[in-house]
Amino acid sequence: MFERFTADARAVVVSAQAVARESGARAIDGRHLLLGLTEAAGPATEAMTSVGLDPVRLALDLRTELSSGGLDAAALASVGIDLAAVRASADEVFGQGALDRVRRSPVKGHLPFTADAKKSLELALREAVRLHTSRIDGAMLLLGTLRGTGSPAELDLSRALAEVGSTPEALRRAVERAVAEAS
Amino acid sequence: MSDALLLAAGEDPRQGLQAVRAVRELADRLEHLQVERARGLGWSWQEIADALGVSKQAVHKKYGRRI
Repeated sequence: MFERFTADARAVVVSAQAVARESGARAIDGRHLLLGLTEAAGPATEAMTSVGLDPVRLALDLRTELSSGGLDAAALASVGIDLAAVRASADEVFGQGALDRVRRSPVKGHLPFTADAKKSLELALREAVRLHTSRIDGAMLLLGTLRGTGSPAELDLSRALAEVGSTPEALRRAVERAVAEAS
Repeated sequence: MSDALLLAAGEDPRQGLQAVRAVRELADRLEHLQVERARGLGWSWQEIADALGVSKQAVHKKYGRRI
């Protein structure tokens, strides 16, 4: 699959792998790929900026979310658990930063992709076919993420877009415009 | 978030599943800390296993080498 990827797109995949490993994840999911996209200058970040989405800010939010190692404060709050309160009491009994100390250790070797990450890579390929480009670059990866409706990455991206008063559709059009101008 | 949005989110199994996953992660970490502390206070593996409601073998297998 990766033979048609540009150097930039490959770098995104490599960086997604590194972030996933650092955070103790067992697999690379779409959010790791999205983080890689937000941290690489290119058509994807340019399109984000053009619809008012700050890639640096999104990258920061994604890093925070992903480095929690599955300890998702929002998800816990949805069932009435206040992670900050649990943290405070754990710190008191077991010492400062106790909850983070016992996180799973990083995995060695190559990490597999989750189903949603594979899906978004496949969708990127399909977007390239649709837009008549032979190379998969960051723009195609971003379009692939946008097409993967309901995936964690797409949900995060949609939420971030809504926060700045934009929409996935607007971002998709911005990416497509950039692709059309470049060709 | 509007009531309509909250309602929609509550109906989506994804959010519920994410919550289950986060609760499990939190429980795992708290278990690790508690087992570690109990061992430090001189508890036997059997006592810890009884308190957790699992077998001694299960606790020892999970934490024997880590703690």
